[in-house]
Amino acid sequence: MVRLITHNLLACHAKGCTTNNFPLQFKDVSIELREAEFNPEFLKGFMPRIEWKALVDAARQLGDTTLPSEMPEMVDDEFLKNLHHALLEVHVEEGAMVCPNCNHVYPVSNGIPNMLLAEHEIA
Amino acid sequence: MSPPTAVKATIISDHPQTYEDEHVHAVYDEIAPHFSSTRYKPWPIIARFIASLPTGWVGLDSGTGNGKYLPLPLNRPGDIWTIGVDRSRNLLSIARKAGEGDVTREVVWGDVLGRPWRDGAFDYAISIATIHHLSTAERRKAAVQRIIQSISPSHGRALIYVWAIEQDDLSKRSIPSDQTAALTDSTGQDVFVPWVLTSPAPKVGPKVKPRRRKQNQQLETPTPETSQEDVARESQQRVFNRYYHMFAKGELTALVHDAARGLALEVGPEPVGSEEKRRGLHIVEDGWERSNYYVEFKCWECT
Repeated sequence: MVRLITHNLLACHAKGCTTNNFPLQFKDVSIELREAEFNPEFLKGFMPRIEWKALVDAARQLGDTTLPSEMPEMVDDEFLKNLHHALLEVHVEEGAMVCPNCNHVYPVSNGIPNMLLAEHEIA
Repeated sequence: MSPPTAVKATIISDHPQTYEDEHVHAVYDEIAPHFSSTRYKPWPIIARFIASLPTGWVGLDSGTGNGKYLPLPLNRPGDIWTIGVDRSRNLLSIARKAGEGDVTREVVWGDVLGRPWRDGAFDYAISIATIHHLSTAERRKAAVQRIIQSISPSHGRALIYVWAIEQDDLSKRSIPSDQTAALTDSTGQDVFVPWVLTSPAPKVGPKVKPRRRKQNQQLETPTPETSQEDVARESQQRVFNRYYHMFAKGELTALVHDAARGLALEVGPEPVGSEEKRRGLHIVEDGWERSNYYVEFKCWECT
């Protein structure tokens, strides 16, 4: 399960790839929706550390268009529910994530992203 | 109850990555379900650390194993999110479903020497019983640096646990006395710790041939002084030797200092009223608990 909460933190770490290495781009993904417990306090606490544009773009790529382009200053329940859904209920089960800079491919299989590098690729 | 297991000294080969692949990663993939069934109880200091984290924080569990810390704190589930990383794919499949109920955890297949995160992305990190599987001081330092770089430079908190040479009385492991010389050494010692997997007895037919890894004879070495009966029993047992670096007193904290300085961080408490731009790391607590050394630290930044 690469959910968008994790995707928003992941970056390419191949040797020499230090700029424009975030966010990874989804490729040929299949997704599953699974309900998760709604916790508005968690979301409010986590919001300041979200890379907002990366989240909105990734959510749209996965077919979720409910998030506004700019992070709102005032949050209401409807917004928080949409944020909750985007971050925690959309599971990328299969496919890959590709670095926008060096094109390194990180496969996702059975919901688990493979972020391992070969020894010569480690920075 | 399994009998005390003897710990053997070991010498590390020239190529640490290959060595760890063989004596750590391959072993955990093989023993994953059995290992996991014995690792369910969170250690108190770790549970307390996690319970102290504010709502909304997101953290990294570097070397999550079966993911037993991912569901914590149990009394306020979902207030924080811990993302688990491990080298063993088989353990991750277990970690993904860690805890009660049908909650899916976030897990990532990765190595503690990698850093597939944006800089300082996490609010906290834990690394429990993991860094002692790295076979050189340089690699252990690099693993600590990856943790420091993964947490926020201004407020990131981390807790690291490693295995100690000093084992408590309750431990099932016994250290041969000829190795106690290393107790006075501040550089720890390198050992194999056996894990015995017993498979069900064969019903009929000839003796079961143990599955063997050809280049990997140490993994199959049976315990010494075997009787006839033992031989029969051991045909159903497989012994896996896991590599550990057992830490000496003071070694873990010194490692964190060394790692911090290597990243141009000061070591010490956050200065009050500093007008210069400074970055540092403060050791909040360190100690020994139940056969392990631990260290908790916090990052600070003056801008």
